[in-house]
Amino acid sequence: MATNLAERVQYPLDSSSYKILDEIGAGNSAIVYKAICIPINSTPVAIKSIDLDRSRPDLDDVRREAKTLSLLSHPNILKAHCSFTVDRRLWVVMPFMAGGSLQSIISHSFQNGLTEQSIAVILKDTLNALSYLHGQGHLHRDIKSGNILVDSNGLVKLADFGVSASIYESNNSVGACSSYSSSSSNSSSSHIFTDFAGTPYWMAPEVIHSHNGYSFKADIWSFGITSLELAHGRPPLSHLPPSKSMMLNITKRFRFSDFDKYSYKGHGGGSNKFSKAFKDMVASCLNQDPTKRPSAEKLLKHPFFKNCKGPEFLVKNVLNGLPSVEKRYKEMKIMDPDSKCNDDGDDDEDSVVKQRRISGWNFNEDGLKLEPVFPKDLSRDDEVVKQVRFEEEKVIKEDDVVASSGTVMETNPNVNASDVVDHENVGGLLKNREATLGTLNVLKESLEQELGQVKFLINLIGGNGEEIHVDDSEEKMAPEISKLRIEVENERKKNLQLELQLENIKLHLISSAVSSPTS
Amino acid sequence: MKGLFKPKPRTPIDIVRQTRDLLIYFDSSTESRDSKKEEKQMTELCKNIRELKSILYGNSESEPVTEACAQLTQEFFKEDTLRLLINCIPKLNLEARKDATQVVANLQRQPVQSKLIASDYLDKNMDLMDILIVGYENTDMALHYGAMLRECIRHQIVAKYVLNSPHMKNFFDYIQLPNFDIAADAAATFKELMTRHKSTVADFLSKNYEWFFADYNSKLLESSNYITRRLAVKLLGDMLLDRSNSAVMTRYVSSRENLRILMNLLRESSKSIQIEAFHVFKLFAANQNKPADIISIFVANKSKMLRLLDEFKIDKEDEQFEADKAQVMEEIAALEG
Repeated sequence: MATNLAERVQYPLDSSSYKILDEIGAGNSAIVYKAICIPINSTPVAIKSIDLDRSRPDLDDVRREAKTLSLLSHPNILKAHCSFTVDRRLWVVMPFMAGGSLQSIISHSFQNGLTEQSIAVILKDTLNALSYLHGQGHLHRDIKSGNILVDSNGLVKLADFGVSASIYESNNSVGACSSYSSSSSNSSSSHIFTDFAGTPYWMAPEVIHSHNGYSFKADIWSFGITSLELAHGRPPLSHLPPSKSMMLNITKRFRFSDFDKYSYKGHGGGSNKFSKAFKDMVASCLNQDPTKRPSAEKLLKHPFFKNCKGPEFLVKNVLNGLPSVEKRYKEMKIMDPDSKCNDDGDDDEDSVVKQRRISGWNFNEDGLKLEPVFPKDLSRDDEVVKQVRFEEEKVIKEDDVVASSGTVMETNPNVNASDVVDHENVGGLLKNREATLGTLNVLKESLEQELGQVKFLINLIGGNGEEIHVDDSEEKMAPEISKLRIEVENERKKNLQLELQLENIKLHLISSAVSSPTS
Repeated sequence: MKGLFKPKPRTPIDIVRQTRDLLIYFDSSTESRDSKKEEKQMTELCKNIRELKSILYGNSESEPVTEACAQLTQEFFKEDTLRLLINCIPKLNLEARKDATQVVANLQRQPVQSKLIASDYLDKNMDLMDILIVGYENTDMALHYGAMLRECIRHQIVAKYVLNSPHMKNFFDYIQLPNFDIAADAAATFKELMTRHKSTVADFLSKNYEWFFADYNSKLLESSNYITRRLAVKLLGDMLLDRSNSAVMTRYVSSRENLRILMNLLRESSKSIQIEAFHVFKLFAANQNKPADIISIFVANKSKMLRLLDEFKIDKEDEQFEADKAQVMEEIAALEG
């Protein structure tokens, strides 16, 4: 451990000691380079260069990340050799991970997902990292394949602590420090965050001890989504256009129904390649009740991780024949020049929209609640707006693919109240808020009922009834099923739009309710 | 009560005592020692520190118990344990260093019979702060000692001591250390010192106005380091806009030299710095008793300033900012030479 600190000192703190070779990743405010450190035998390193002026109005986040990186020491966590500023940019020098991120690996060579054996190796190492992290009182808050990296030896490391939080960061909160969960944690109810950056300065102890915020178990949820991502090549529901408020809706919906969908897929899509152990492991992570999700420590003991292979297995089965990180990154840039790749060790504003949705979920739930309470907290607002804007950009692209009409976009609910005002009919709506809200609620309810009925039908005819089902009857029913499926999709879309509208109005009501007494 | 501590027969007091004994062992001379024994003792020490942490913060099985925390705290400060622990930190491994830091941090806030006895202890042992502050000069210790220091200056008497110590001047250098993580930690401590205890800060600033703002201007606001300028101008705004510092603010905005520096910051290409600079600059314009030389600068640069402000837009709408801007422009426009 002491060697880590010694090692940290060795890396020079001036940019001239490094030679940049290739860009290997980029996000909204950071670029990741492959470089060599000239005075240290030209050792390859990855340098994450963060634009401090463009990103994060609150430099405390950056400080926290730097500190977290300096003080963590675990074989499955990507540490920083050192960090220093170069004019307006912060350079974080890290070990170079030749395999790149799993997101990049999947999108290049395993678009339909990895094999279960490979997944087990990756997830086990990720869990080791998470277990250590949680034992240290840290939340990662951005678990996804884009943040899981592999080196040339098949060693897996968890990266990017840009939004991580610690229960010990206590400058502003006595309450947040009132308790601690050791590495054997299986009850994390007492460590809850409800803000984005992890400084719950406004929280009373009794709030912290409630189940309202998010805790270590939020990482477990993301871990579950990541498992699905590795298995299918993309996270669930990634075909839907994201937006701030939709994040909320989708996550709500997702919690209820998507796991069904997932298992449905496994049945109907001929991809029943996953073991019961794997499904069971993922299901436990995606339990709607955070307290029922296992801790990282406990998950490690899950049968799925028994007889897990070692890093050589990844070298042989995943890394073998894979082009280099820099090459993959270039290819991707050529194919999709507008998109920003999330690669090695990056990143905050991520191009892979669907993942943002998952990590945004916690934030969102609170964002709605918090903003009116702290209208002065400009930095947070900023954060929100940035995030939403970024996703809007992506929506356009996704939209073509989904071929859903532009209406989804038009109703895109920006949290920024001023945007909402632009809606022509809001003025009218505002005059009888109650009535409109009521109507929309009724509509929403009826749509949900309909959705439920159709789903029930689908399940009855073609879905979950694995045991009752015979192959040829399934064939006969196929057209019927797909017709119904389309119907459900349509209903869903309509429903989503309405919910978006509803959210929109709610937001507006909240913000106007808050601003009216003061103005 | 004890039932809550399940398998541990040792009381919090026992653990503190044992920790202290082990610390004394390591604090004393290190020559001619059985390395095997030493290793064993070190393992034991690290284990004890972790147990202290677990009592203070709770663990997976239980929340912290007030009574146990109070016993631990009382025993800890009964003797010179904190000094021993601080001295011993360089000898611990990384995990134990982190545990120890968290223990020290927590102890600062532990009430014993509704009194913060940590404060009383530190009152008599202020020299410990000297060790912690100088820790910023040691790469390996900086983040641990820095975190402890920040917790200790939550006590007003400690903050007062640090503010008035000769170390205060060193913060201007610590903030600009090449290691970003350490520099940022020092900056966080500096900010805490300059904002937390209002009356103490106001008192400090009025007594040390000359050297403090001379250094602040030349070393921080005019630093070649972007991040230093940005943090400094933000903190300057926080300090000057605080009501308790109104006398200092009045003095600051009456200086021609200060105005010059702020005007330069206002013209920076960095939006973040510009915005923060504006929040200080507006105070110069809003000052109803502008000295003649300030007025003359405003008059001489009137059209340039008005143009700059007119073109000065921030990315997102901010009514307060727009209102401030309009007012500042009005003030400047109304000035006659």
